[in-house]
Amino acid sequence: MTWRSWLKIGLLLAPGLGLILIFIGSVVYIAIAQSFGYYNLAGESGFSLEYWAIMFDRATYSRAISYSLYVGTASAFLAVAFAYPLAIWLRRPFSGSLMISAILKAPLLVHGLVAAFLYINIISYHGILNQLMQWLGIWDGPHRLQNDRNAVGVLILQTWKNMPFALLLLAGAVQSISDDVLDAAADLGAGPWDRFRRVIAPLSVSATQAALVIIFIGALADFSFQVIAGPVNKQSLSQLMVFFKGYGRWNDAAVVAVTLMGLAIVGSGVLAVFSRFVMRGGRLK
Amino acid sequence: MDAVSVRNLTMKFDEFTAVRDVSFDVARGEFVTLLGPSGCGKTTLLNLISGFLQPTSGTIEIEGKNVIGVPPEQRNTAMCFQSYALFPHLTVADNLQFGLKQKKLPHAERKARLSDVASKIGLGPQLAKLPNQLSGGQQQRVALGRALVMRPNVILFDEPLSNLDAKLRESVRLEIRAIQREYKLAAIYVTHDQGEALAMSDRILIMKDGRIQQSGRPDRIYKAPESSFVADFIGGANILDATVIGQVGEKNWRLDTKMGELTAQSDTPPVAKELKICWRAEKAQFGSGDLNTVTADIAHRSFQGNYTDLFFTVDGALQRVQLGEEAGELSASITFHIRPEDIIFLEAIK
Ligand SMILES: Nc1ncnc2c1ncn2[C@@H]1O[C@H](COP(=O)(O)OP(=O)(O)OP(=O)(O)O)[C@@H](O)[C@H]1O
Ligand SMILES: [Mg+2]
Repeated sequence: MTWRSWLKIGLLLAPGLGLILIFIGSVVYIAIAQSFGYYNLAGESGFSLEYWAIMFDRATYSRAISYSLYVGTASAFLAVAFAYPLAIWLRRPFSGSLMISAILKAPLLVHGLVAAFLYINIISYHGILNQLMQWLGIWDGPHRLQNDRNAVGVLILQTWKNMPFALLLLAGAVQSISDDVLDAAADLGAGPWDRFRRVIAPLSVSATQAALVIIFIGALADFSFQVIAGPVNKQSLSQLMVFFKGYGRWNDAAVVAVTLMGLAIVGSGVLAVFSRFVMRGGRLK
Repeated sequence: MDAVSVRNLTMKFDEFTAVRDVSFDVARGEFVTLLGPSGCGKTTLLNLISGFLQPTSGTIEIEGKNVIGVPPEQRNTAMCFQSYALFPHLTVADNLQFGLKQKKLPHAERKARLSDVASKIGLGPQLAKLPNQLSGGQQQRVALGRALVMRPNVILFDEPLSNLDAKLRESVRLEIRAIQREYKLAAIYVTHDQGEALAMSDRILIMKDGRIQQSGRPDRIYKAPESSFVADFIGGANILDATVIGQVGEKNWRLDTKMGELTAQSDTPPVAKELKICWRAEKAQFGSGDLNTVTADIAHRSFQGNYTDLFFTVDGALQRVQLGEEAGELSASITFHIRPEDIIFLEAIK
């Protein structure tokens, strides 16, 4: 291409893409710069690796990384695992299927904080779940379910909230597979599991990748579910970031923020490649 | 034991009955063609045999085993789909091998079958391509090859050659027959090309509105249609209303028709006094004869290469005569006669 056509394309893209790049770029730039000691709001600015070095030595930091990765990955896989069978079940319309898929998408309309609040209400020490289990005679006394150590509460909430989103993506992909193609697979000897493995999964790789990555990024940076329903002895990266910010330690907060972005990028890539590899039966191409 | 045995099969979609009370058998190694107009239930019948649909009533046996309720993957059938139904994410080679991998056939055997079928249906150079990189006819041949390569007890073809040109159709047709014979597959072949049906089949089943109208060897169907639908559908016979006005000797009947008085010869007597009769266009004998001589004004002519169709009207309905060279000499009218044995009795007029 000549420099003229480059210029033309550049000018055409400038109003849209340019604005986006300026906004996102400046935020990302400031975060990265702050993590290396620039834009220090409290003291002297200048290049320094000190914030990263100290952060790497903090146990809370490495614990927050593994905890956030755990929540992000587990939420993404759980949401997709629940959405897949539903998408396949709802593939062909039947009477009532429209209603069911509408109800399943209801969590999209409930804000995360509200959902978390309702959830802890239900599982609280004197909440309905405890009362029900005792009334049924399954439990002798009330159990402490809130803020459990393994973040089961957070995972339940993340899955509940994100499953409809995964369902939306997967249903589109699964519905575009024609009945004849699935019939052909059955005709050639593929039972339900083989039909899934050899036809449905490879034909819905892109939707699955998109669902896994987007849910992973959201859950990796979870704050609201974690604050309300998460374990008290563990912090997520977002929590840690807000903690530093609360003390005016912007450079430390920036280190956590950059970590979060880095993990989002690397984790997404790993998830995308992994899911493609698995769903195409061990091949990437 | 028959490879396929269908008894009183009925399939209803809500109120609509697509297949009604169909019964037939296909022996091992037999090639049966299902012939009928669009929407008569051919694909539905194949779907029932494959197991994609569950019949409303009736039974299907494959190799003597009742398969009602048995899922498609456990039936030893393979279908060549009318819509091709290729796997869009797999190459031609992987499409062809899909069923063989499912059967866990050893690698060497798989490769051998693959290259065999690919060369027979002319797909050798296309093996590495994806379905969306193929022409319509090539896709259709992949669908065909994917079923043939399985060598199942029962193979079902749903218009497998509809998208091929005349020459290719001829050669693929021969390959289908050769493979089917070699592995003694019971074949059910759907087509609405009557020429194909007559050329390929051991037996033809003619369907209309979900019912089997007539079944038999191709020459029997052609020579002795039992109803005006079959007579018209196969070979486009000329059909007339007739009234029996007398019997001459043991086998000859005198008939009153709109084309004049005709004499018909038949081993079986007419089914009613008022009935339909038919005669084939190519059976018309040029010039007048002892019996059944007709002179008519030519309405129009259509040159077909090795013969010419001449049309005339009888009581508003077009009748057709097929003549060779002699058609060229005719201008305004034609005189021909029909031999009594070439007039066929059909069903009664209600
Ligand atoms: N799933 C279905 N629901 C309702 N009606 C159906 C269904 N499948 C087929 N039919 C109807 O059953 C009839 C037979 O359909 P079928 O596909 O068997 O016809 P066909 O003989 O294969 O026709 P063609 O030669 O055009 O392929 C048609 O009238 C069709 O509309
Ligand atoms: Mg059909």
